[in-house]
Amino acid sequence: MQNRVGPSLTGPSGILQPLADFIKLITKEDIIPRDAKKTVFRFAPILAFSVIVFGMCFFPIDGTNIIPNSAFSGDLIFDLALLTIVNFLMFLSGWASASPYGSIGAARVLVQFLGYDIPLFLLALSPAFLAQSLSISEIATAQNIPFVILAPWAFILFLIAMQAELEKDPFDTPNAESELVGGLETEYCGGRLAFLHLTRDVQIIFGAAIVVELFLGGPYGPVFFGFPTFWYTLWFILKLLGVIVLSEYLASLFARLRIDQVLTGNWKILLPLSILSLILTVALATWIYPWVM
Amino acid sequence: MRSITTWARIKSPWVIHFNSGACNGCDIEVIALLTPRYDVERFGIKLAPSPRHADVLLTTGVVTAQCAERLKRIYDQMPEPKFVVAIGACACSGGVFKGNYSVVGGVENIIPVNIYIPGCPPKPEAIIDGVVKLLNSLKEA
Repeated sequence: MQNRVGPSLTGPSGILQPLADFIKLITKEDIIPRDAKKTVFRFAPILAFSVIVFGMCFFPIDGTNIIPNSAFSGDLIFDLALLTIVNFLMFLSGWASASPYGSIGAARVLVQFLGYDIPLFLLALSPAFLAQSLSISEIATAQNIPFVILAPWAFILFLIAMQAELEKDPFDTPNAESELVGGLETEYCGGRLAFLHLTRDVQIIFGAAIVVELFLGGPYGPVFFGFPTFWYTLWFILKLLGVIVLSEYLASLFARLRIDQVLTGNWKILLPLSILSLILTVALATWIYPWVM
Repeated sequence: MRSITTWARIKSPWVIHFNSGACNGCDIEVIALLTPRYDVERFGIKLAPSPRHADVLLTTGVVTAQCAERLKRIYDQMPEPKFVVAIGACACSGGVFKGNYSVVGGVENIIPVNIYIPGCPPKPEAIIDGVVKLLNSLKEA
């Protein structure tokens, strides 16, 4: 977009820029506003980061469990609940900063994720129903044909709901810079700001990983030679990067919606569509797919 | 450890722009810096939304009496280490408004300034040169 190259002089072709930003931020002075709720202000960003990293533990990355992951039956629901908790902690961190911009940004986070969680859960049920399991690793294993082919409608809607859940364009009203300065992170500086940024970045990877596990066949792909673990990890990372590129492309393609449009889009369009998509998936999986395959 | 910190600070200066009563000439040059034509984002320079996030304060304009208190407050909100760049003749010394009853004249009368970039308005190249000099002074210190 606009033919901009982005940071290109930090390390080889600018790859170290996030590292430089992070080191700079954690070495800066730490200011806590006088009226802030100090305990919440201190701990919410760091807690949000640790919870989202904890949520990453449940993804089967290498497909053969050489890298142990703490999967259990029903961890899909647990993982999506962790995503909600992270968003709630982000809301708390904005609300605790006692700044009007921070509060409005935080309120918008709350309004947005409360709405978009419902279609997200409903859409995540489609692959769960196709695989007859609520465990992420079993859903990934069950995809001899990736579910993106069996239920493309659910895949597209899930991408949109995920875009909204992660507060990316066109749904990034909580951190609309032209209206809200920095949104919920307005009053943050130094290390806590670094953790808020890091939480957002890990959230993006988390969302992309859920999409890969539920719809794109997880880490499984053709094994050419040698250890399957190596190939499965490679396939997982390639699919993950593909989803992130797609999501970033969507984000730079669309302009930001207003908060009322975001809400209308959720309750009037996305929620009925996700219910319809679930009904369609259940109907096809019960009556059509057993005959075809 | 110290050298890593310095490297990070040089590679990632986030700026915030404050207009303390300028005629908008210098502001347009600052915007030209940030937009694709001169694109200082290549060097990791980013426009921060809030003074709490920023490292460098780009001030333009003669400081009007009304603006002085706000400029001081914005400066105080920035976390250490922080740097101030005075852009344009007015910000450096008061320019043609020097001695006027309603202006303080010069950013240095309110907050400490690290780099002066004269010109009316200074060219974007001159501003880049000034910022690079500021970053080099960081490296030497």
